[in-house]
Order: sequence, then structure tokens, then C-alpha cells
Amino acid sequence: MRLIDRNMTVFLGGLFILTVAIPLMQGNILPGYAIQLAGKYLCYALLAVALDLVWGYAGILSLGHGAFFALGAYVMGMHLMREIGTRGVYANPELPDFMVFLNWDSLPWYWLASGSFAATLALILLVPGCLAFVFGWFAFRARVSGVYLSIITQAMTYALMLAFFRNEMGFGGNNGLTDFKDLLGVSLSSPEMRLVLFIASALALAGGLLLARAITASHLGRVLVAIRDAESRTRFLGYRVEHYKLFVWTVSAMMAGVAGALYVPQVGIVNPGEFAPANSIEVVIWVALGGRGTLAGAALGAIMVALTRTLLTGWLPDAWLYALGALFILVTLYLPKGIVGALGDLRPARKQSKEVPA
Amino acid sequence: MTILNIDSVSKSFDGFRAINDLNLAIDKGELRAIIGPNGAGKTTMMDLITGRIRPDRGTLFFDTTHDLTRLDEAGTARLGIGRKFQKPTVIESLTVAENIDLALAGPRDVWSALRGPHGKSAVKERARLLDLVRLPDPDLLAGALSHGQKQWLEIAMLLAQKPRLLLVDEPAAGMTDAETMRTAELLRSLAGEHSIVVVEHDMDFVRALDCRVTVLHQGHVLAEGPLDHVSRNPEVIDVYLGR
Amino acid sequence: MRLIRLILLCLIMPAAALAQSFEEIARALPEGSYDDRADRVSALASSGDPRAEALLTALVGGDLAVLKSDGRLVIVTDGSATDALSGDPAGSVTRRDVTPVRVNNNLRGHVRAALGTLGLVAESPAARTRAAAQVEAAPDPAQLSALEAALSRETDTKARDALEIARASVLLVAPDATPDERAEALALIAERRGAAAQGRIRPLLSDPALKDAARTALADIERAEALRGWGLTLWQGLSLGSVLLLAAIGLSITFGVCGVINMAHGELVMLGAYTTFMVQEVIRTHAPGLFDWSLAIALPLAFLVTAAIGIAVERGIVRRLYGRPLETLLATWGVSLILQQAVRSIFGPNNRQVGNPSWMSGSVEVLGLSLTWNRIWIMLFALAVFGFLMLVLRRTALGLQMRAVTQNRAMAAEMGIRTGRVDALTFGLGAGIAGLAGVALSQIDNVSPNLGQGYIVDSFMVVVFGGAGSLWGTLAGAFTLGIVNKLAEPLAGAMLAKVMILIFIILFIQKRPRGLFPTRGRAVEG
Repeated sequence: MRLIDRNMTVFLGGLFILTVAIPLMQGNILPGYAIQLAGKYLCYALLAVALDLVWGYAGILSLGHGAFFALGAYVMGMHLMREIGTRGVYANPELPDFMVFLNWDSLPWYWLASGSFAATLALILLVPGCLAFVFGWFAFRARVSGVYLSIITQAMTYALMLAFFRNEMGFGGNNGLTDFKDLLGVSLSSPEMRLVLFIASALALAGGLLLARAITASHLGRVLVAIRDAESRTRFLGYRVEHYKLFVWTVSAMMAGVAGALYVPQVGIVNPGEFAPANSIEVVIWVALGGRGTLAGAALGAIMVALTRTLLTGWLPDAWLYALGALFILVTLYLPKGIVGALGDLRPARKQSKEVPA
Repeated sequence: MTILNIDSVSKSFDGFRAINDLNLAIDKGELRAIIGPNGAGKTTMMDLITGRIRPDRGTLFFDTTHDLTRLDEAGTARLGIGRKFQKPTVIESLTVAENIDLALAGPRDVWSALRGPHGKSAVKERARLLDLVRLPDPDLLAGALSHGQKQWLEIAMLLAQKPRLLLVDEPAAGMTDAETMRTAELLRSLAGEHSIVVVEHDMDFVRALDCRVTVLHQGHVLAEGPLDHVSRNPEVIDVYLGR
Repeated sequence: MRLIRLILLCLIMPAAALAQSFEEIARALPEGSYDDRADRVSALASSGDPRAEALLTALVGGDLAVLKSDGRLVIVTDGSATDALSGDPAGSVTRRDVTPVRVNNNLRGHVRAALGTLGLVAESPAARTRAAAQVEAAPDPAQLSALEAALSRETDTKARDALEIARASVLLVAPDATPDERAEALALIAERRGAAAQGRIRPLLSDPALKDAARTALADIERAEALRGWGLTLWQGLSLGSVLLLAAIGLSITFGVCGVINMAHGELVMLGAYTTFMVQEVIRTHAPGLFDWSLAIALPLAFLVTAAIGIAVERGIVRRLYGRPLETLLATWGVSLILQQAVRSIFGPNNRQVGNPSWMSGSVEVLGLSLTWNRIWIMLFALAVFGFLMLVLRRTALGLQMRAVTQNRAMAAEMGIRTGRVDALTFGLGAGIAGLAGVALSQIDNVSPNLGQGYIVDSFMVVVFGGAGSLWGTLAGAFTLGIVNKLAEPLAGAMLAKVMILIFIILFIQKRPRGLFPTRGRAVEG
């Protein structure tokens, strides 16, 4: 199986063109905030790719991927908080404003590493990865699968949301982390920084796609498909299904964490709402719309839904939830393979086309 | 030399005794047919052997040294126990060749899987197996195969595992008469190199296997011996053959 | 000494009162020793005469005087005098016209105490009870005689109880009560007043005579309090459990029978609550007298509305997705978004006011716990719904078919059961139950478009924990999670308690992946 197939070529080509074109068009054809918006979409797209890796290939429908995204976002947010330094309202050189407000006199231990950018980069992968590993270790070992697994992933993100709402947790409670100033000494609102973040997001998406593709095109990818289609059969072939699921689940969570980390500096805030179960379910419809098990399709679906949301909420705010609800119903009923899958069916049938059973 | 030794095994589900003091020994290279009415405990026995469930009492040993009660499905499969289900289960969204590749003997851990498929020898082995079960197109999606072809593919996958013990659950179900006979012939030819346990309802098929037969009834061995011998056993006639 | 005298006085008082009229005692007020005068004050206070209050108030305020001219007892206010006994005006007076009735601090305290006991001889038992409570709040040894007099003639049980506690409170502070009397008083207060008496008993720990009794009494109170606390936690847990049961039970049967998760279940609950709101609105404008019946009217309506929506969702969407439970989950999530937004468009995003009928308001005291009626009714209602579903499953043809489909769909279909119809009816039944739950929850929760979202994760947990499709499992799961939640709350706070429960469930399904009461069916094997 080739690493870069047709879909991937088309998508990566399109991504490259947009990455060059959007900065050029900004300010004349596109509004001034286009880069920020596009960067945000690319982060969503990376999250969708992460979900597609587990849902499309291993059959694990996660309703809690937003949690990994949010954890990556919080890790990055913590670093950005530390970079504010004395420019906060209370001008405390060490403590973020909300800690001063809560009368804390020193940083909690889990904030210590956030001062270092290198450590932050590591934690962006490690924090979601560790949570996914522990959660997955328990869930997959117990052979929790299907809707049961979906429900407990939802419970996981719900539990984290409740936890992060608490001030005592030391993550800013209700308000989350915000009022960021700069990253690596460069102001977040400067055009250069915005461009860098946008390009970083595009690169992360391309990297994530290629990594996911490398995994799914390998022999391991076939084991995953075997697990998805006939889990029991795969066990009798001698594969430890839980190990495979755990591997791909953890990789996917890390990818989601990277997406979250790139998202935060571009939107300027992270709060416990990111853990809301509704957010995680929305990611699922991005993947379903684009085409489950197509990777590039998932990314495309994310961008399409996000773009529609931006346009629709500006134009007819009340219509958005109706549209999203209808999308859930219509895609599952009439577009089970998603856009990319449906386009694939239009092309002359090829023997090798990997059909995804619904 | 026995390959499989089941000693005084019992297993209950919610008070129902599916397996009741079962004793069974399979010799190396032996072909054995197991017959019995519905609910005789055939499937439960297979589940016990493959580590899918644990016995309440008794021991199961593979090759005299491996305690099967301590292993899961993957563990027993890696030891060399292959199992074919009644309903053919192949990976429908992979091609025939990929299905075989999945089953080919080799490391089963995540890291080896990441490094990619097996080498040149694997390609040769795959071709040999496809030839054996007469599946000409390795690039066809397994989901596009007919029911009978799926059975054959699954048998090929089993053989690709190079199992020392094969558990085959009703292979003749859904096959034409000709296919049934060919399956019997194939199993007979495999015996010797592999030890094989066949669970079957179809008496013609069992007769064609021409091997030792064990009659299971209520989770217990009722009779054992050549088919002609057990079919004259009045108890067997009572519970099974003469229904 | 003084106590004996007081007791003697109590004994002779009725006789004295007979012998001496109110007027005679009043006229004797300025004369004699302070002790004698104190006795007269007590006699006046316990006479039950309506003039006593004004007289004693004047005495303590220094306004009572004797007219020098004719020796009449008068009350002087702003230079004008009133006859203290007849109430007739006695003209204006100057300071030289009158001799004030002198009081010292001791007598003044005595008069005050006597004033406090005036209510003890009031006409109505409620007023007497109130007066006794006042005495209890500020006990004064001088009130003892009045209390004992009141006790001796009290017939009302409630007032008697209050008087006994008041007397005990006075005895506790009376310097010349015997240790035995005080110990007895202490025991009585501890027994009747419980935790409220802790503050009064604690100082007695330094009293050598009462130290032991006080310590025992405090320990008893603490034990009773702890027991009460556990009782309260248990009750709150059961109450939360009944809410969870209502929210989860419909979900459980649809999941068990049809093998699908209805993500719109919470929104159906919300629609049930809005149906209640609508019913109450109509009643408020057209037939206010029916308000107490509003819930009874809303129940069948809510059931019909949500069951109809449920059947429509099953026919239109879920039916086409059987065998694909994950897709069903997504499609019903879409339904939930649309229902939520529709309610928001029609009724607005804010909370709607749903009232409690009179029979659901207030509370009742059971074993020292104050239980609110709405919680009691909801618990009874949850159990009634559970019983109703049990009957449907065990006693009706539909129930039999539902159980058959749960256990083996293919086999049931081959036996001639129209599984499609069973699915639709099951879905409708589950949705209808959600509507019923909504009516109940409208009584204790905010009726807003987000109502359903608050319950969905919790009710999933109940289903996963109890075992899908098992009614008993749902019952056990709901009450277990309810109680565990309330037990964990004081330890960890409400939010962390929830987090702990979620972790607990994740660990629990390690041991029992199919829940407490696993249904052995093919539909739930995902």
C-alpha cells in the first residue's frame, strides 16, 4: 500500500496551496482575521484525523476525544500564563492572576514545568498520552467495546470537565486560562506570530495525516481493520487486541493534544467548556461527514463543518444547532461513507478500494 | 503422545452445567470428530481449550506442559491452537491476500506489526495456501467471496498460523456436497502433520473423515471409538442418533 | 431554703389566691420585705388576671406609685396618673403628690421573670407553649414557681411538653436546685432537645456535680446526631437515586431491547417538564382551581407527547440503522440537538416557572428528619413507574415479546414476533417514561432547554453500572450511585464526588463489564 494515495495527494496539495494563499489574500480578498480562523480550523482538522485513526480503523468510537484536545490546550495555556509574568493585573512575577486572587502563595507542583517551553512541548504529548494510556489500559483489558466504550469515554471527558471547573484544581476554574501575552517572547497578536502559528498548524496537520497514514498503511493498520471488523477472529489469530487498541488510542490522544496546544495561542483562551461532551460528539460528525476511515476526509469534514458554523452563526445564529442536528441525522442515514467515501464510489470500482462497513 | 489433555473439567453458567466432568485426550497428529446434540457442550469445550473461558474445576494441558487455563485466546493461538468458527469469519474489508498475511505465523506484537508485513518467504507461503484452497484472486476483497469460499479462506488462514492443534466447528455447514467431501479429504490429509478436532452434525461428513469419534452429551463423554462402534451404542442411539 | 419556700408557696398559692383577691395583693405590693413583695409579684403574675401585665410593667419601670391623697395605687405616665386596678384616670399629678413603689435590682429581676411567665396562664395552649419556649430561651430561677403552677394545671400535651422543658431549663440555672433535680433536668433536656441543647449543656461540664451527667448527655446527643446525619445522607441518597432511576429506566429498556442508545433521552425528559409547564399555564389562565391537579393532568399528556416523538424517531431514523448502534447514537444525538434548539426557540433560553401543587409543598418530620413532600412523592412515583414497567414486562404480551427480542432477536423473529413493531413500541415506551420523568423532575429542577443534558451522563452511568436491559439492575444501580454520591459529597465536595463515581464505575466494569445484573442477550453484546 502506498503511503501517499490519491486522496492524500489531493488533500496535502490543497493544504499546501491554502497555506500559501491565505496569508497572501488576507487583508485584501479575505478579512484580517482569516489566518487566525484558518489556523483554528486546521487544529480541528488534526483532531478529526486523530479521531478517525481510532474510529475509522480500530472501530473505537470515542465520545471523549475533546478531553485530550483540551488537555493539550491546558498544557500550552499554562505555559502562556507563565509567560505573562509581571504584566498580569496583580503583577506577580511568578503566580498567574487567578492564583493571586485565590490567595495562593506558591505555584502548585504541577505548574512547575510549565515555565519551560521545552518541557511544555513534551507535556503536550505526555499528558494526553498518559491519560489515554491509563484509561485505555483499563477499558481495553476489560474488553469494554461498542457503545459501552463510547459511554465511558463520554463519562471521562465529563468528569474532567467537572474537575476543571473547580478552583482548587489550580487551572483557573470557571474562567480557565486567558489574557495571554506572548509566546517565546513574541507577541501573540503580532502578524508574524499569527503566521507562524498558522503554518505550524498546517505542518502539524500534514504530519498528523502522514503519521496516521503510515500507521494504517502498515501491517499494524491491517490488524486494526481486522479488530474493527472481527475482533474475536483477530484474537484467535494470536493478536493481543488490547495492545493494538492501546497503541493506536494513545497515539491518537497525543495527536489530539498537539491540536489543542496549537489551538490555544490562536484563540487566546482555554476553559473547562472544552471538555464538554457535546464538543467531543461534534468531532465525530466531522469525521462521519468527511468519511470515516479516510483520514484526509476526516480533516476535510472538520474544516467544512467549522466553516459552516462560522458563516451560519454570523448570519442566522439560531439555525446553527438545527443544522448541526440535521447533519448528524442525514449523514448517518444517507451518507454512511461520508463525502470522500461517496466520491470513491462514483469512481470506477476498483478491487482494492477499502470499503468501510457501517 | 497426547497434544491435548482435558482432565475432569467442569464449567457452569448460572447454575447450568455446560461441561460436566469432561475427560478427553487427543494424540499428536490425530484426527478426531466430536458429535453430540445441541447443548451437549461442544462450543463450551472449544471455548475452554482456547482460553476464552476458564473452567470451574479440572485441568487442560497442551503438549503436556502448557496450562491452558492460564492463557487467553491470543495466548493459546500463539501456542499453536487454531480455531475455525461455525460461521465463517474473515476480515471482509481486507483482500484475500491480506487476510492470509494477518494469519501467517510470525511475531504478533505491536512493534513488529508497525515494521511492516513479512518477508519473501511469506509471499511464497501465501501462494501455496491459496493454491491449496483454490482461491485464484489474492486481490479480491474477502467480503466479495461466496459463503463456501469464505470457509476455504478461513481454513487457509488457519493453516497459515501453522497450528499444532486445529479446532474446527461444523466446517460442512452451508457447503455443497462436493465441497463437503473436499473438506473431509483436506482434513484427512492434514492429519498427521496437525492434530485436528472436528465438531460436526453431518453424519456423512463424519463418516467421510473416517476417524475416532467422541460422543458428547450434557457436557460429558458418552461414548468413544470408531463411528460404527459408537453408532451401535444404545445410549448414543437414545440421545442422539435415534432422535 | 428558698426553693422549699417556693414549693411551699406553690402548694398554698391556689388557697392564697382564693383567700386574697388580686386587689388586696396589689395594694400590699409596696409593703413588707423584698422577699414578701417578690412572693406577691409571683402571685399577681400567676393569677391570670389581665391587669397583671400593665401593673408589673409599671412596677419594673418605676412608674407605679401610691397617691398620697387617698392611698390609691396608680400608674404615672407623663405626669398623669391612672388607677392601676380600675384603670380610671386619676388626674394629673406631680412628684410631690405620689410615693413611688420602690424596687431594688433583685426585685426588678424578679418582676421581669414574672412578666416572662405571664403567658403561661394565657387562654390558648399555643400561647402557653410560646411563653414556655420564651422561658426556655432565657431561663430565670424566679420563674420556677410560676412554671410549676402552670404545669400542675396544664392539660394540653404540647404545652405540657414545652413547660417541662422550660422547667428543666430553669432548674439547670437555679442555684439552689438539688444535684439530683438538675441531673434529671439535664437528662430531660438532652432527650427532648437533642443537638439544640448542646450549647446549654456544655457549660455544665465545669460543674463538678453535673460533669458526668453532662458528658453522658453530650455523648448521647452526638451519637443521635451522627445517626441522624447518616439517616439524612441515606435519605438524600435514596432521593437522588429515585431521580436517577426515573431518568435512566426508559433508557435502560430501549438499550436492552433494541440495543441502541437513545442520546435524545434527556431531551425527552426535558419535553415532559415543558409539558407540565404548558399544562400549568393553561390552568393558571383558565381554571386556577385545578392547580393541584396539574401534575395528574400533565402525566398522561407528557407520556403521550414524548412517546409519540419516540415512535416517530424510531420509525424515521433508528429503524434504518439497526445493527449499527454507534450510528444510532450519533443520529439520536442529532435529534437531541434539534429538540433542544426547538424548545429554546419556542420557550426561550431561560428557566420556566413550574409550581408545586399544595400537596407537594412543605415537609414532614420522620424520626427527627425533615423530609420534603416533593422528594417523598418523587420517590414513590419512581417506584410506581418501576412497578408499572415490571408489570408491563411480566404480564403483557408486549412485555413477553420484548423479553424475547432482548434475549435473541433472530430467534424471536423466527417465532413470528414482529420485531419491528416491538422495537417501535419499546422505543415509544422508553420515551414515554422519559416524559413521565420530566413531569416529576419539573418539581425539583429548573425547567430549561438544558434540563436533559444534566441527566444524560448520570443515567448512562446507571445503565452501564446496573446492566442494560435489566430493570432490577437499573433500580440497584440508581440507588447505589445515588447513595454513594451523597456519601462521597461531604468527603470530597459535589463535583469531586461525581468524578470519584465515574472512576469507580470505570474500575467496576473491569470486574463486571456487563454491569451488576447482566442480561444475557445478543442485542447488548456489542
